[in-house]
Amino acid sequence: MDNEEIKRLFTLAIEREIEANEFYAKAAKSMKDESVRAIFSDLAKEELGHMELLERFKEDPTLEMKMKKPATDTKVAESVELPKLSTDMKPADALALAMKKEQQAMELYLGMAANCSDSGLEAIFRNLADMELGHKNRLETLFVDIGYPEVF
Amino acid sequence: MKSDVILITGSNTTWCHPVFGGMIKKAVKQNGVKLIVVDPRETDLAKIADIHIRQKGGSDVAWLMGVQKIIIDNGWHKKEYIDTRCEGWDEYLKSLQSYTPEMVSKVSGISKEDLYAIAKLYATGGKAAIYYAMGITQHSHGVDNVKAISNLALITGNLGVEGGGVNPLRGQNNVQGACDMGALPNVFSAYQPVTDAAIREKYAKSWGIDVATMDAEVGMPVTLMVDQAGDKIKALYIMGENPMMNDPDLHHAEHMLEKLDFIVVQDIFLTETAEKADVVLPATSFAEKLGTYSNTERRVQLGRPAIDPLPGVRQDAEIIADLATRLGAVNFPSTPQALFEEMRMVTPSYRGMTYERIEKCGLRWPCPTEDHPGTPVLHTAKFTRGLALLAPLVYRPSEEMPCDEYPLLLQTGRLLEHYHGGNMSRNSFTLDTLKPECELDIHPEDAEKLGIKSGDMVNIETRRGKVKVKARVTASIDKGALFMPFHFSEAPANMLTNNALDPIAKIPEYKVCAARVKRAD
Repeated sequence: MDNEEIKRLFTLAIEREIEANEFYAKAAKSMKDESVRAIFSDLAKEELGHMELLERFKEDPTLEMKMKKPATDTKVAESVELPKLSTDMKPADALALAMKKEQQAMELYLGMAANCSDSGLEAIFRNLADMELGHKNRLETLFVDIGYPEVF
Repeated sequence: MKSDVILITGSNTTWCHPVFGGMIKKAVKQNGVKLIVVDPRETDLAKIADIHIRQKGGSDVAWLMGVQKIIIDNGWHKKEYIDTRCEGWDEYLKSLQSYTPEMVSKVSGISKEDLYAIAKLYATGGKAAIYYAMGITQHSHGVDNVKAISNLALITGNLGVEGGGVNPLRGQNNVQGACDMGALPNVFSAYQPVTDAAIREKYAKSWGIDVATMDAEVGMPVTLMVDQAGDKIKALYIMGENPMMNDPDLHHAEHMLEKLDFIVVQDIFLTETAEKADVVLPATSFAEKLGTYSNTERRVQLGRPAIDPLPGVRQDAEIIADLATRLGAVNFPSTPQALFEEMRMVTPSYRGMTYERIEKCGLRWPCPTEDHPGTPVLHTAKFTRGLALLAPLVYRPSEEMPCDEYPLLLQTGRLLEHYHGGNMSRNSFTLDTLKPECELDIHPEDAEKLGIKSGDMVNIETRRGKVKVKARVTASIDKGALFMPFHFSEAPANMLTNNALDPIAKIPEYKVCAARVKRAD
């Protein structure tokens, strides 16, 4: 595994974060509900943070990427359907959409790791998957906070 | 307990929720947790409280909002929490201006100094929890009372915090579970609306029925069913409930039930309501059956049978399954575990629970997957609607206030020894021996004016009825107030209560009605 290969891989991961940032920023502008706008704006900012983290690894491939693997995966994202993006989304739908996107990213990296013959590349993909699992976990906690309301 | 301060109002916790009451007592006496009790009666917890204040019946919105005004006027509110987690501040603040200490003192009978003491301890004493029960909800403005409590917790940053929170103590051990399972007129389990076509589709698929046969209309709250008896409602199937003891204004309830064409009662004893039924289905008690209970902290626990069913009674699940099968249901689950498995598949907040997982100490919902540990504290980061709404509130007096004709205020409630309409506890030799008869609590000054001594038989009368009962003269009740338990069919308190309803929750005003008392001849 050479440095160019690592840079190409991180460029791919960075592009995903940029796409996510743009998606959430655009969604924030179109939402009717102020709380949902705030949730999407926060998510857009978070994706920029993830992008900056990945940039550091891209710039210095000698840095060893060791994301802390979350102790558990509660699989809440896996238990809900992906909500459709619409202007009248509720806060819980916005979080459900975001955690599903993190789940998809995690599954993408896990899939890439599984198909990798180079152990160095596989380790990077697994680290990226762990990073997405960490994001998914955080969003799942937020979702559980509001996704099962006792409203009648 | 992680609280520094506990505020209890509208709850005689050691009598009505003895286990939890014991935990609070321990927290106060052994761990130094500060306790505020606001209650017209000197309850057990009031005796050990740092502050016990007696409010006039029905004045809760006034004193709660008055305390909030003092907190804000003194700068004890959590500005950052309000800015980041709440909305509606301007309207709320505007509505708060009318709750001056003078106005609040006049309405509630609480002095300005006492209001200040409550405000200071609650707002500045650390993590503060509020506990309340039916003394807050059973009013014609019960929803406003709860909103006022929510406001108080919000402005002090006490919602979504372990050791803080607004903690309603549910009226019975499985009220939470009954509501979670959709025993409400407008929702399926986990509060999924019956009006949502996609949700109906999900249940139809699970039950193997044609979705077109499902009713898409919202049903009727139980309090309105009685009023519609003989009109829209022709028959009632009543399980584990005794409206002939527990409904407000029993004369009216009895009159309405007599209009029904058909009544079925499924219960463990021949209740006053069962005596009026066309069909009585004897069912097993808690001690004879397997099943889950969801308690007030959303914890789902497994109850196991201690004894075999007595001869002639059947499990509730079996009775319902048989009935459903005779009505055409196919493969209707007939065991508690089979029902639980079916239920959790359509109930997102319970989906991660299995009998194996809840066997030891239960799980608190939301528990959406089998990998999820359950959720002890909700709203730590967000509220369901995004930001919490600070509710502007206008004080509304109770439907009935004291007057020349009925100068006292009657409050009804429970005793330690008995439970609800007495169906279970009065059939217990031990409990009924401990407390065999009803007593009306009256303050010594009121009793003296009326020439009443402890042990005298008196007639208590309201606009709806008259009941003969033994008087207990005690300073544990506030001057001008009366307390009467509702467990005794020989002296049924609900002959007296008012069936005025809260406009939103449709809950009756059991806690306040105007009354007069005279010595019985």
